[in-house]
Amino acid sequence: MRPLEGVRILDLTWLLAGAGGPRLLAALGAEVIRLEWRDRLDFLRYSPPVVPIEGSTEERREIKSVNRGGLFNDNNPGKRSFSLNMAHPKGREVFKRLLKVSDVIVESFRADAMTKWGLGYDVLRSVNPEIIYVQQSGWGHKGPYWKYASYGPIAQAISGLTDQSGLPEPSPPAGWGYSYMDWSGAYYTAISMLLAIYYKKRTGKGQYIDGSQIEPAIFMTGAAILDYLVNGRHWERTGNRAPYKPAAPHGAYPCEGVDRWIAIAVGADDEWRALVAEMGNPAWTRDPKFASLATRIINQDELDARVGEWTRMQDAFALQDRLQKAGVPAGVCQTSQDRVERDPQLKHLKWLIPLPNAESGKWPIKDVPFHFTRATVDQGGPIGRASPCYGEDNDYVYGELLKMPAQERADLEKEGVI
Amino acid sequence: MANGFLFDVRVIELGDERVDFCGKLFAGAGADVIKVEPPGGGPSRSIGPFYKDTPHPDRSLFFWHYNLAKRGVTLDIGAPQGSDVLRKLIGNATVLLDSTPLDTLENLGLDWAALQKLNPGLVYVRITSFGRSGPWRDFKGTDLVHLALGGEMMLCGYDPKPDGIHDTPPIAPQVWHAWHITGNQAFIAALGALIARADSGVGDMIDMPVHHAVSVCTEVDVPYWIYAKQACVRQTGRHAFPIVGPPSQHKGKDGRYSNVVANPFPGGRETMIAFLKEIGQASDLNDDKYKDPANLVGIDFVRHFGQVQANAVAAFGYEDVWRKAQDRGIPWVPVRHPDENLNDEQWQIRGTFGDVHHPEVGETLRYGIAPTRAEECPWRMGPRAPLVGEHNEAVFCDELGLTREELRRLKDSHVI
Repeated sequence: MRPLEGVRILDLTWLLAGAGGPRLLAALGAEVIRLEWRDRLDFLRYSPPVVPIEGSTEERREIKSVNRGGLFNDNNPGKRSFSLNMAHPKGREVFKRLLKVSDVIVESFRADAMTKWGLGYDVLRSVNPEIIYVQQSGWGHKGPYWKYASYGPIAQAISGLTDQSGLPEPSPPAGWGYSYMDWSGAYYTAISMLLAIYYKKRTGKGQYIDGSQIEPAIFMTGAAILDYLVNGRHWERTGNRAPYKPAAPHGAYPCEGVDRWIAIAVGADDEWRALVAEMGNPAWTRDPKFASLATRIINQDELDARVGEWTRMQDAFALQDRLQKAGVPAGVCQTSQDRVERDPQLKHLKWLIPLPNAESGKWPIKDVPFHFTRATVDQGGPIGRASPCYGEDNDYVYGELLKMPAQERADLEKEGVI
Repeated sequence: MANGFLFDVRVIELGDERVDFCGKLFAGAGADVIKVEPPGGGPSRSIGPFYKDTPHPDRSLFFWHYNLAKRGVTLDIGAPQGSDVLRKLIGNATVLLDSTPLDTLENLGLDWAALQKLNPGLVYVRITSFGRSGPWRDFKGTDLVHLALGGEMMLCGYDPKPDGIHDTPPIAPQVWHAWHITGNQAFIAALGALIARADSGVGDMIDMPVHHAVSVCTEVDVPYWIYAKQACVRQTGRHAFPIVGPPSQHKGKDGRYSNVVANPFPGGRETMIAFLKEIGQASDLNDDKYKDPANLVGIDFVRHFGQVQANAVAAFGYEDVWRKAQDRGIPWVPVRHPDENLNDEQWQIRGTFGDVHHPEVGETLRYGIAPTRAEECPWRMGPRAPLVGEHNEAVFCDELGLTREELRRLKDSHVI
């Protein structure tokens, strides 16, 4: 039994900030049917990296198929796909039929796309009074910036997240090296849908949620905002040092090899003593400069240099295991290769799950990190698949779900609606 | 009548800063969240910054933000009388959030089997650093260590030198994102279990290792490795990628930065060039040779185009022209300090911030309270985070039925 069995989601999202939301609900057991149209495909369907055909050695630099986008495969497992042309008036009529048999509609278009199609919340509700409509746009539908563009780095920059990360002035912000707010946007798309589904279970009422990619980022900077309001302080970057919870050493230290680093975070005195013992009790550690956490923080530049001299010649993973065994919080700055091929804990947690795509075959997909005891939950969802091929489930949607007569479907295909 | 999405949900929260954010989401969405702390207050009260920079358990701004709209009780759950009260609390709850050290509840006789007996409908979310089993089970995790092991750090930092070697370390994104990433996904899982429970009446136990949560929250690096065996290289203020791309973060004349799309989507270049002309910064992009779309592609053009954009940003202050660019559909924004969003009308109109009164200091402060906008079920605007043990009497006496005398005895024996 999956927790969301029986919930149907009409998925009009794309990229990650949108599509990642229904991905999570598919893992929880919802039936997610993804609406797509060939003239305006999610461009991750044909963006690198290309998914190789399982077991083949073909040259894969050339992208030949809309079903082989690697990021698309990772963003859309557990979903079905059907094709429908929403630009066609008949397409919108078919859409309304689907609306009647769906619990949730979720989209991540620009904020005015649905109203342009004559499908604002009022219309959706007149077709299905209990519908849940989650709109996830960049800046939100309400407000003067509703038309503005956003994607991960934009959301991170305007919200303050970018400013918070990096070495102190005069270094520029380092920000995030990926679209963190695409994943976080996806989390809040999922949260919006789930909260509304729960509320509907308890009250019978549907609702409209106007989500944005940027607001969750602002939400996460709240402590810094309070610091400004109360103490008049703008955020100041501290690199890897701990701004709010005293700790030292606290940073990334070089190890043997090219661009190999270990993070060490020493707070309490017992952790410091354990580190000193592991370092072999060198004389410098007895300097009063390093006697207490307060003085270690004051003398961090020298402390970091000393610790770095010690880590520099060591194997990162051996050092990590040794420090952890001694009770010192430490971890290698792992690469994707480390996590995919080496990390024994992730292997133990089965963080990658092999799932099939009809064209490329079985490949490992990142599974959800929540491990249910009773319910069945995994990223293959109720259909046990990786991402769908374009229109792969037309038979299911038009046949099984809508019971559309064959003649009607053939006509709609001829007219460029399906 | 119903107020908030989770109007009929009661949450018991146990643990440290790993659990605060998940509980905050519950409280914001309308649940009654009771934070159970050891007598004297829990560990996250010692995290800064502090009100007027003066450390005090009731003056941590971290605690204020991450515990908004919760209630707070104190209880030594390890003491025999304390664990009896804990059983009563759990018996009355819908959700138990728990980030206590490994085996804490098991050692009190409250393993999952016992919890189910106590409350068959309980949704139990167990947050641990690395999981309850496995070779790294006993590893110590901190925010920094998790972002290192989870892969975030190797993707974040600064450009390599021209020879491809980095002379700066990977940088952990600040601040507290390991807990945000975990809290968001723990909340999602708990909501799934609550929805199932709404039909079945039966709860579930969810294991939520921070290491797993953080490891799945990177973007392109894992697919690039799995499908192409390519590693992603960290770069200043933009995506880590197998190749080093053109910069997108540029400095303005006021020394502040802006982020401008470096490599516009198809059709975007022409729009950008037209805009640069409008603000007098198109440089040679006005030349006839760029009327030929064939000259608007290729790495040399992308670099040149990036330089023109950098010069354009340098000609203005960071808040000067971005709205004009956005009006034309161009992704261009200032790199703001977090507090600089407080006065932006977009967020004022949307209700992204809300005012929370703190009677103890006589101030009303503006909090980021709404991660989404929901008119039917607005996010809760407060009250402010609980003082140490503020709701002991209300919860233990009025709701669990302890007498005032029993409460006094618990207090005298330092159980609460």
